[in-house]
Amino acid sequence: MEPIISFKNFGFKYRTQASPTLYDINLDIYPGQKVLILGASGSGKSTLCNCINGLIPFSFDGEISGTLTVAGIETKKSSIFELSQSVGTVLQDSDAQFVGLSVGEDIAFAMENIRMPRSEMVPLVEKNASIVGMKDFISHVPFELSGGQKQKVAIAGVFANDVKVLIFDEPLAALDPQMGMKAVSLIDDLSKEKEHTVLIIEHRLEDVLYRPVDRIILMGNGRIVADTTPDELLKSTLLQENGIREPLYITAMKYAGCSLEGNRNLCSLEDLELTSENENRLKAFFTSAYQPLEESKAEPVIEFDHVSFSYDRQNLVLSDIDFKIRRGERIAIIGKNGAGKSTAAKLLCGLIRPSKGSILLEGKDIKDLSIKEIGEKVSYVMQNPNQMLVKDIIKDEVGLALQIRGRSAEEIQSMTEKVLKACNLYKMRNWPVDAISYGQKKRVTVASMMALEPDVLVLDEPTAGQDYRSYTDIMNFVNALNRDFGITILFITHDMHLAIENTERAIVFSDGQLIAADRVCSVLANEAVIERASLKQTSLYRLGVKLGLDPESVIERFISYERGLAHKEAAKDAAPSSGGASGSEGKEAKADE
Amino acid sequence: MNNRFVINYTPGPTYLHQLSGFTKVLLFIVMTVAIISTYDVRILWPLFFICLAQMISMKPNWKPIIFMFLFTFVTVTLLGNVMLFVVSPDAGLNNCGTETIIWTSKTGRFYISKEWLWYVFAVFTKRTASFASVMAFALMTTPSEFASGLNKCGMPYKVCTIISLAYRTIPDIANDFIDIRNSMMMRGVELGKKASLGKRLKNNVTLLVPLIMSSFGKVTGIANAMDLRGYGKYKKRTWYAEHEPTKADRLVRGLTIALAVLTACYIVWSKAIDPWPAKIWCPFSDPSQIRNVSLEESFFLFRWLKSLFQ
Repeated sequence: MEPIISFKNFGFKYRTQASPTLYDINLDIYPGQKVLILGASGSGKSTLCNCINGLIPFSFDGEISGTLTVAGIETKKSSIFELSQSVGTVLQDSDAQFVGLSVGEDIAFAMENIRMPRSEMVPLVEKNASIVGMKDFISHVPFELSGGQKQKVAIAGVFANDVKVLIFDEPLAALDPQMGMKAVSLIDDLSKEKEHTVLIIEHRLEDVLYRPVDRIILMGNGRIVADTTPDELLKSTLLQENGIREPLYITAMKYAGCSLEGNRNLCSLEDLELTSENENRLKAFFTSAYQPLEESKAEPVIEFDHVSFSYDRQNLVLSDIDFKIRRGERIAIIGKNGAGKSTAAKLLCGLIRPSKGSILLEGKDIKDLSIKEIGEKVSYVMQNPNQMLVKDIIKDEVGLALQIRGRSAEEIQSMTEKVLKACNLYKMRNWPVDAISYGQKKRVTVASMMALEPDVLVLDEPTAGQDYRSYTDIMNFVNALNRDFGITILFITHDMHLAIENTERAIVFSDGQLIAADRVCSVLANEAVIERASLKQTSLYRLGVKLGLDPESVIERFISYERGLAHKEAAKDAAPSSGGASGSEGKEAKADE
Repeated sequence: MNNRFVINYTPGPTYLHQLSGFTKVLLFIVMTVAIISTYDVRILWPLFFICLAQMISMKPNWKPIIFMFLFTFVTVTLLGNVMLFVVSPDAGLNNCGTETIIWTSKTGRFYISKEWLWYVFAVFTKRTASFASVMAFALMTTPSEFASGLNKCGMPYKVCTIISLAYRTIPDIANDFIDIRNSMMMRGVELGKKASLGKRLKNNVTLLVPLIMSSFGKVTGIANAMDLRGYGKYKKRTWYAEHEPTKADRLVRGLTIALAVLTACYIVWSKAIDPWPAKIWCPFSDPSQIRNVSLEESFFLFRWLKSLFQ
């Protein structure tokens, strides 16, 4: 069979960059294959796909070496328009690619551009909308749709042409866990029914493996590191070496001392056939004695006392929310989009005020405090750091809140220095804000909040838009703030991994109600709560069920073991560095000096 | 989203809403030209009532419309006329050609004539009719119909896409702005009533930096999405939002063309065949008494400069 995509000694260098982004790519993809292209940020995986769909070299300038043929056409000699007839691309940002003012219009966008008469367009739009299950939403406007729905529309939009190859660029980036699962199933159905060749670009390996893939191509530093089956990849050590998170159940197997060889269907927990030796090891690991997780006994720092809120006095956005958070706790606030978790955070920051009930901060009702006054105790770090940064130089950004409050120059100087050191940013203090990476910007926003010495830090989706390495960096840093300065941390998130690894308790919202406020392991083991909150069972839970053990104690054992490891590592790290969060920044900063 | 800013994103249920974008744009253009072409209230009032009837037939949310009307009435009409009275009490003579004084101040510097009142009334009528025609158009048209209709009227489609993209992104940018503002307020930047006006203005300008940065970030994404779906390949494109003309469309287009012809006839008749001797038709002026006021005489500034040199 002829390959549908064929790279031969292919390389690419962006015009604006000194060294190539892709080297020596030799890759054949055959019709009907479903391929996962895996890699950390900067590994070249997106660049590879932009070469296939023609954005490279037609929208991004640069030098191509070698050849790439797609559906028999050599891309260099083609055009983005010609390639779009056989390659459909669903971009990462489902909001930005929604260019129409209604679902129907957006699906029709490509048809309009090929001058299809409206009489042919209308039935085709309807047909394509029903393929992705959006037929009842044709007249809806983008502002009424969720991220998952927008993504479905984008998928329907590329069917305007009779495409043979479908590319999904980070399809899970903007979705909550359940929507993510649905998206993975939909992609799988498309690859089966329509016999498309499907390429998925992702770094969330476990979520993509929810449905089988034929091949995984692992990218690292612009080269293909591995081109193999999922099972083989999971057995190897390549994932850790390339900054990809392995599935949780694989981690658990490693903790239990299992050998990964000899187990069939390693890539799918449901079909996994463990060797009897491994099964015994896992059972022994999960039933062995462990240090139970401690519950904080400190005084409450935040109390929601039967709080309700509505914008229009009719529809309650939050109803009768009642919980306490103790000083020094790390809390996960979870729930799907629109469940009320951000409304709760806005109430806490005083941006909106409760319609009923009261909120206490360190035992004092916040109703008489201004937003500014609350801001000195509670810091809110937004999801997108670009929305928060206003100054040119990192140092000024961090000192801004103090400057506004009219503190003396010396005080600002000493406080800024202290915070920058704690946040491991001191060496970069005179750098322009534009020159640093997304993850570093996130760290600057946290630092600028720390200047006010808050008691509580609220982080909205701290892991959004970041790969595993950058995620680990930020989490280490935030955890160090919690450990060393006793700051209470609230994570607003739907990332279950984050909750397991970094929090003690979880508060779960669903449809404006608080449906659980309990230890993380209990919440994650509670099937009813997970279902109502549109979350996803972690693979640990499913592993527990598979082994016939109590899932709650399985999760608790796992967390306890992992915290034990983290503790040892922190103790090792604490000696040489001040913050405990050491990473690539330190090295980069040194390189600059 | 609908009816919040008078702009509708989905077409409403009424007769006018169901027309095609081209019909709506055509109707709007002809209406506007007709209103611009004259100060004659005998023409303007009927045009105003047509627009008002259009608005009523669409059963809109009147609150924002009345608010906007009152806002422009107070700022433009009331304040404007007070200024006009101070600066140019002879506006009646300049525009109507005659002057029947009904009140004079003690110094004689200020006075009111019947013709001045008529002039003010005519301008008000014209403004109100324009307002009604714009409102009627805004109420009946969705942004996509606006874009497709304009393209059918001959506007290049790239310009039309810019218009529809603007409507697509305005609500997102507004939300971004609110988020940025909230985060700044939490950091202690005073944007509320506590700060002085100058400080508030300055602080609001700082918000623009992140707003522009985050908006620019989106531009690349939008451009790539459009490129990947073949935008801009051909000189023409078709529009999903522009449906085939229905019976209602043909009827309204017919009426619109009739209105256009009538307007053209009126312009020719009133400017060339039987011109009224003054700029504005006025029931108080006797055509034989009308005298033409020269341009330099009609401007307060000219007269004032002239008096300095005499």
